[in-house]
Amino acid sequence: MFDLSTNALFMMLLTGLQMGSIYVLIALGLTLIFGTLGVVNFAHGALYLVAIYLAVSINDAMGFGFALILVPAILFVLGVAMERGLIQYFYNRPHTDQILVTFGLAIVIQEVLKWFFGANNIPFAIPSWGNGIIMMHEWFPFLEGFVVYPKWRLILVVVSIITVAAVFALLHLTTFGLVIRAGMRDPEMLQFLGVNINRRFMIVFGLGSLIAGVAGVFGGPVTQVSPEVGMHLLVPSFLVVVIGGMGSLSGAVLAGVLIGMAQSFTAHDINLSTIIVYLITVIVLLVRPRGLLGAKGVFE
Amino acid sequence: MKMQQGFFERNRSVFIFALIALTMPFWFPLIGGYSGLDTKIMVFCIFVVGFDLLLGYTGYLSFGHAAFFGIAAYTTGLMLKGFSDNIIPAIIVAVIVSTLVSVVIGLLTLKRTGIYFSILTLAFAEMFHSMAMAMLQQWTGGENGLTGMPTPMLFSIKMQGDAVFYFITFVAILMFYVAKRIERSPVGLMMRAIKCNQTRLEYTGINARKYKLLTFVISAAYAALAGALMVVYEPFVGHEFLGWHQSGEIVIMSVIGGVGTLVGPMLGAAFMLYFENVLSVDLGEQWLLVLGMIFMVVVIFMPGGFMEAVSRLQARFTQK
Amino acid sequence: MPILDIHQVSLNFGGLKALQDVNLKIEEGTTHALIGPNGAGKSTLLNVLTGMLEPNDGSVMFDGKPLLDVQPHDINQLGIAKVFQTPAIFPEMSVLENVTIPVFAARDGSFRMNMFEGEGRQRPLVEFAEEQIAELGLKDKMHVRADSLSRGDKRRLEMAICLAHKPRLLLLDEPTAGMARHETEQTIELLQGMKGITKVIVEHDMNVVFSLAEKISVLAQGQIIAEGSPEEIKGHPKVIEAYLGEAQV
Repeated sequence: MFDLSTNALFMMLLTGLQMGSIYVLIALGLTLIFGTLGVVNFAHGALYLVAIYLAVSINDAMGFGFALILVPAILFVLGVAMERGLIQYFYNRPHTDQILVTFGLAIVIQEVLKWFFGANNIPFAIPSWGNGIIMMHEWFPFLEGFVVYPKWRLILVVVSIITVAAVFALLHLTTFGLVIRAGMRDPEMLQFLGVNINRRFMIVFGLGSLIAGVAGVFGGPVTQVSPEVGMHLLVPSFLVVVIGGMGSLSGAVLAGVLIGMAQSFTAHDINLSTIIVYLITVIVLLVRPRGLLGAKGVFE
Repeated sequence: MKMQQGFFERNRSVFIFALIALTMPFWFPLIGGYSGLDTKIMVFCIFVVGFDLLLGYTGYLSFGHAAFFGIAAYTTGLMLKGFSDNIIPAIIVAVIVSTLVSVVIGLLTLKRTGIYFSILTLAFAEMFHSMAMAMLQQWTGGENGLTGMPTPMLFSIKMQGDAVFYFITFVAILMFYVAKRIERSPVGLMMRAIKCNQTRLEYTGINARKYKLLTFVISAAYAALAGALMVVYEPFVGHEFLGWHQSGEIVIMSVIGGVGTLVGPMLGAAFMLYFENVLSVDLGEQWLLVLGMIFMVVVIFMPGGFMEAVSRLQARFTQK
Repeated sequence: MPILDIHQVSLNFGGLKALQDVNLKIEEGTTHALIGPNGAGKSTLLNVLTGMLEPNDGSVMFDGKPLLDVQPHDINQLGIAKVFQTPAIFPEMSVLENVTIPVFAARDGSFRMNMFEGEGRQRPLVEFAEEQIAELGLKDKMHVRADSLSRGDKRRLEMAICLAHKPRLLLLDEPTAGMARHETEQTIELLQGMKGITKVIVEHDMNVVFSLAEKISVLAQGQIIAEGSPEEIKGHPKVIEAYLGEAQV
């Protein structure tokens, strides 16, 4: 049955945190974009896909440091370009059209990447300083014996925490963030106040893409680099957004961690772990349709 | 709603479709099509016509219809292997099973608005996809798929070559007629009203939710029938029958052809399959990329698809 | 017995008391106006009556039957129809189709699986819809798409949709909002012509109110502050106080 020793519990929690990290990062971007612009971005997984391919290429050519700086920056620009070049024309069109066009974009991006890089998995070499294992028992005395954890996965968790903190800081401590949060609650009000909506939307979309970029740089080695990864991650990320509450950033974080934990704690049973996300979604939808932290009436 | 018309006039499009479809084995090779592809096109015509009742009429975008297609396909395969090589019981059981599943999924996903609905249907299809690959491996054959079926028989007729083409085409013509009947019925009216103004519909005394569920289940039944016939045509079931790729293809076919027209999506299906299997010889691996770009162009500039292009051209010419 | 009996209805939106212990009795066949300054809760009350909002307290009886906890479509089937501030119609459908929908709703109830009902069977209902359309002066626009109609025509179409179901109670949420003088006159005439149907009208245009209303209730800050005949309300000190010059009598 279940090994509930402190060690096992600790490991499962840690793994859950790590698995949740990627979901959190992708879901964060998704919910930020949805909450502010009202757009369901089916191309978000494709953005992550672009990020990991860029990251592995730049890493191989110039080293990880450049990838770390360039990828999120390029993704930001890409996000802005997407919003200005395509998404903005769909604000007044029905939601289905938004979904269709972003879905189409996702396919096009995926196929372009497949064309360029091939359909096979590209190995993403972890930089030397990130390689190896951490002696967990040295940091956590309550652990018994020899307990190790891959260093890179811990780095991923730390990066996610920093990113989430940064996003929240941006939203709660800056004027820009204040405007965005107000816009998430009441978009019409913003227009009345004479705020330049267009610029805000553009930046938010860029920001959401940037976060996907960060996810790509650190998540690439973990999730592998191949064309199906984008869509493969998008589905559970969407569910994370739905479970957390569409438009709720803290909901996305909470739900992402929850799902990561659920998958980690059911990892021993392959049948259960594959469908646990869906089960949780169904339960949450039946019991609390607006999501764990969602606002009432938002698309209910 | 037009004045009383005779059976022939009312169902003109069905007769035209029948004419084009039944003569396919003769003209299809002339444009590079091969025998077998025409059968596949007929299968997807059935799939897509039912899907249009949901997307084109009620406006609900499902990314999960592959689930009903795949479940029916697997059920048919298993029935052929384990029960009888006669396709009739296999098809009946497959459609019933898949339709029952759709009732459950419909109840869960239609509670919310269109956005949630699209996301949730996508999720459920992926759930079945995962289940087919892992949990239910011994039944589905996992990654390798379900094989080893006997030659499907329609009583004493072998379902191969011309026989299977004409059988499936006959079913397709019938299902197109059924869809036309539904379109003309009060239910069809309510479906379109749902897309226009669901709130107003509720205030006019109509239980929109029930009509949505009805439409969802009908479209799922069409998908199920297509899935069952797919196996009759080609005795193999792959896990990709259930995935988002398959659902996405149906969406693309419908949109390119023109949603809400019933005929449009069928044209879209024919076009996409032709593209994938005939034109791709020249394009190579990139056929999906080109198709994806065509899809985007359609969504951005001509959301009514091919049928909209046709009617716009018609308007230009009649204005002269 | 009043056809509509609203008893001690209260509704809170977060901390805001939208409706406070509202008591209102509407007699059958009368035209009853609901007036009051902005934010008084008039539209909120209408939304409670159509099933869109649920009050925290109180009860509503329609013809002796409880109305709360009933779904909007069932409320309509009971005989209550609503005309919205911005005409709520089916934009991409023709005028005829718009009116045919309530006719089917009247015959079939809120749901019926008649997917295979042919045009022959539908003919009598379609003809009835055509008559309704003609009665409201839209005969020449029968096959026109609803979203291409003028605002006044859309309002008439909406009336046709409501009337086709033969309602017993018609709720009107600012029916003349945004209308030009002549359109308002037409609407008043239209409503005056509807005998036998109980009407509850929420309005800001006092001209309309005094042309149509047999009884007026005044709502302010979620409470009924005055009720009576038009003459009684005209010079009522509390009403003037509530409006502070907002309305033009």
